[in-house]
Amino acid sequence: MKINITEKDISILKVISQISGGFALIIAMTMIFSLIQLKTVKPLDNPALLSIKEQYDKDPSNGKLAEQVRAMDLMARKAYFSSRWQVVTGSYLLVAGVIIFILCQRLISDNEKLTPVVTDLKPDVLILRSKYRRYLISGVSFIFVAALVSSFFLRVELPDTSGGSSRASKSIETGNDKATKADKINWPSFRGQDSRGIAGGSGYPTEWDAVAGKNIGWKIEIPGKGKSSPVIWEDKIFITGAQESTCNLYCIDKKSGKILWTGSVSGIPGEPTVLPKTDSDAGLAVSTAATNGNVVCAVFANGNLACFNMDGKQLWAKNIGVPESSYGYSSSLMIYNDILLIQFDSNTKISLIGLELATGNQKWETIRHGHAVWSSPVLAYFSGKSELVINGNPYVSAFEPSTGIALWEMECMSGDVAPSVAVNSSMAYAVTDYAKLVAIKPGTSVSVAWEDNTFTPDVSSPVANDEFLFVSTGNGDVACYNAMKGDTLWTHYFQDPFYASPIIADGMVYFLDRSGKMHIVKAESKFTLVAESQLGEATDCSPAFSDKKIYIRTKKNLYCIAKN
Amino acid sequence: MKKALPYIIFILLLFWHVVLFAQDRFPRPEFETGHVYPTNQMPVPRAQIFEYIDVAVLIGALIITTWLALKKRSRRGLIWMSVFSLAYFGFYRQGCICAVGSVQNVSLALFNTGYSIPLTALLFFIIPLLFALAYGRVFCAGVCPLGAIQELTGFRPVKLPKVVEIILAFVPFIYLGIAVLFASTNSQFLICRYDPFVGIFRLDAPYTMIIFGALLLLAGIFVNRPYCRFLCPYGVLLNIFSRFAGKHLTITPAECTNCRLCEEACPYDAILPSDLEQKREEPEQSRKRFKLYFLLVPVFAVAGAFLIYNIAPSLAVANNTVRLAREIRTEKKTGIESVTKDVAAFKESGKTESALFEEEVMIIGRFRHSAPWAGAFLGISFGIGMISLSIRSKRSEYKPHQGKCYSCGRCFRYCPVKVKV
Repeated sequence: MKINITEKDISILKVISQISGGFALIIAMTMIFSLIQLKTVKPLDNPALLSIKEQYDKDPSNGKLAEQVRAMDLMARKAYFSSRWQVVTGSYLLVAGVIIFILCQRLISDNEKLTPVVTDLKPDVLILRSKYRRYLISGVSFIFVAALVSSFFLRVELPDTSGGSSRASKSIETGNDKATKADKINWPSFRGQDSRGIAGGSGYPTEWDAVAGKNIGWKIEIPGKGKSSPVIWEDKIFITGAQESTCNLYCIDKKSGKILWTGSVSGIPGEPTVLPKTDSDAGLAVSTAATNGNVVCAVFANGNLACFNMDGKQLWAKNIGVPESSYGYSSSLMIYNDILLIQFDSNTKISLIGLELATGNQKWETIRHGHAVWSSPVLAYFSGKSELVINGNPYVSAFEPSTGIALWEMECMSGDVAPSVAVNSSMAYAVTDYAKLVAIKPGTSVSVAWEDNTFTPDVSSPVANDEFLFVSTGNGDVACYNAMKGDTLWTHYFQDPFYASPIIADGMVYFLDRSGKMHIVKAESKFTLVAESQLGEATDCSPAFSDKKIYIRTKKNLYCIAKN
Repeated sequence: MKKALPYIIFILLLFWHVVLFAQDRFPRPEFETGHVYPTNQMPVPRAQIFEYIDVAVLIGALIITTWLALKKRSRRGLIWMSVFSLAYFGFYRQGCICAVGSVQNVSLALFNTGYSIPLTALLFFIIPLLFALAYGRVFCAGVCPLGAIQELTGFRPVKLPKVVEIILAFVPFIYLGIAVLFASTNSQFLICRYDPFVGIFRLDAPYTMIIFGALLLLAGIFVNRPYCRFLCPYGVLLNIFSRFAGKHLTITPAECTNCRLCEEACPYDAILPSDLEQKREEPEQSRKRFKLYFLLVPVFAVAGAFLIYNIAPSLAVANNTVRLAREIRTEKKTGIESVTKDVAAFKESGKTESALFEEEVMIIGRFRHSAPWAGAFLGISFGIGMISLSIRSKRSEYKPHQGKCYSCGRCFRYCPVKVKV
């Protein structure tokens, strides 16, 4: 059935359609305005209401103010709901307008006569197709070029996937002045790659119990005593030990825990006949060895230094002079390119020495200012350059690692400085007990970004990424700071003191206390204890992380902690 | 009146729906009277059986639409089907689940072993394609709610200039490529997010999307089915499958008399004219061009792959994690604290920035990995398009372009040929 409509009716319908269309358009615009208002204006954020609320908060007993707050709150809510009412009513009106418009248009079009258009000439398909091809090529070429050009323009906003922005968990590839990801297999020096305390890889165990044998891969007794930490290259672990004046470097098979070879670092010309003053528990083996996969070097508190190849053949050995200090020498070695870096701290001289790795010949020596300390050098990567940062007394100083040229120093420490610095991509953090924790912005115009004296470790070194700085103290406190601003994000008291340095691994921080208990906490702005695992033996050594396993030296033993 | 009835029902559906306008929320009042707020109620999940009912309705609607388009040749019947589909899949099911969006479920399932695609999503993806392979785009004709809402409002067709038509026709291919890329990288369901009509079906979408949908409908009065023609990514697949349809809607119920009355009837430019009395191109020239474009297809594919690979990191911003990481980085760079909810939530979560940046790099890597495939698809599509414009055709009758024809039946009444049933 068809409704017959006259020409006159169609004219009327057209007018109605135009009016309803215009009406719908106006309503739509009003609704858009109201919707924007509803979305953007929060009724309770009214400045007058907030101001009067503030006044009331200061004077809560003022009943008049309370009444005013209530009245204004109600008014704000009423205003909001009236806006909503406008939108809802507007919706009805809009739909009504659209209904009339569509109906009119429909009736008009239904009553229009079918007028097929037949052109005089039949379109030439060949010409048309040729034109279509041109259109398509032009259109697609335009889209292609526009997308390609914009892709290059937008490129500047891309993240630095080579490590720029996420340098927190990255470290420096030795000698290349290039940030790379922390190694998941090799742990070449004290506190791992570049001595930064950050482990690569993931899947490290969080729960173990040495007494019950849970998640213990193996355990061996180290023949010599010492407080040095293990270093790792591929399937070999190196650790130093000493018995009286006998100093050894042990190479241990990572899989079985079997000692593969022992390298003697005794009987070297220049070795003192009288043992230097050291911590009685530690003896001469406190400094951690360093390796680069080709050689492994070890230094002892009597000044004996030797380098071996990976099979245990001694390449060279020398005595660098006895570093005399009140607790004994403890700075660990570091290898940078073909240079062995030695932080030499003695009562008579403090310096940074660069030896040729292949021969042991001295390349350079840079005298440092101040007093002897017990920290170790840390390799940082600031503004595209590698810097060797040393926590000293009173100067925290940085050196160019291949030449030993001093780059900057900051006078901020005092007392017995044992912790090494922590570094991230933009700052160095120095600390020692009875002094303070200082965040240093490196560079020629070196400055202090922030400082704090609440949590100051005496032995344990701090560890940092771009967001957080973690410290563990000799009192058993652990604290997390905002690395950039210095706000204390969380603290926790674990009772047992900490000497070992914390390590960041797989989004967690591993804090090993002196009783041998590992406290594993999420590396986050909130304190979340993941697990606590007991070794059952006291330890002061920092753990080494490699290939989903953790290696911890205790007073007598070396443990491999691996998920069973 | 009968003709107008489907439209009246459609408008009533809209009208009825308006009352469901969602309530905006803001902080509750603070009562001093000890009033206890009722606990929030979570909606009960939809029973599984209803999902199978949806599939059954889809199949039923496709069968009826096929019968109406191919056998009954009833434009009015197709309009009624549109009203039904709009009511059921649009307003009742609120645009979800839909075949158009199911492309993303399939992409996500193909590239993410951890995602198990719901059976209904898979069926909604496959069934309309099977029907397209057998009978052409009957899904578009009267089953797709997005097509239906446009079909019902498109009554003043205006033909677009051919150049605009051809260039815009490539947009759905790009949209499909990008949507699959986003879904496969688990970034977002672009098609659903920017579905212009789902906001109307639910009256609960960002107002920008409701406005976009309304404007599209308004434009659709004149430029019919703008979404189907220039955006719909599922339409790309239907277009491809429909080209191989065993049986397709015809303009004429019997033999074409070449009267040319239907020549300008289709607002979608989906009528292929007969080649009678047309000049023939030199076969050699045509062959040469065919060979050239055929050989260029791999070149186009490589160029497309390179382009999308190059642009992938910029596209990765569609991923929430990547966007958040960039926001955090900007915050650090400029020193201006970001106050967005995402950043606030991230800071509350306790997750580290380094972990976030690592994740960002990983996601960009996934984009880089998937992007060349999307680019190659676009390049190949372009190449095939060029080839199809180079193939010599021989037609003695006016017939629908099987890829572009929506089987809407608008052309039926233009054909003077009638058959007695």
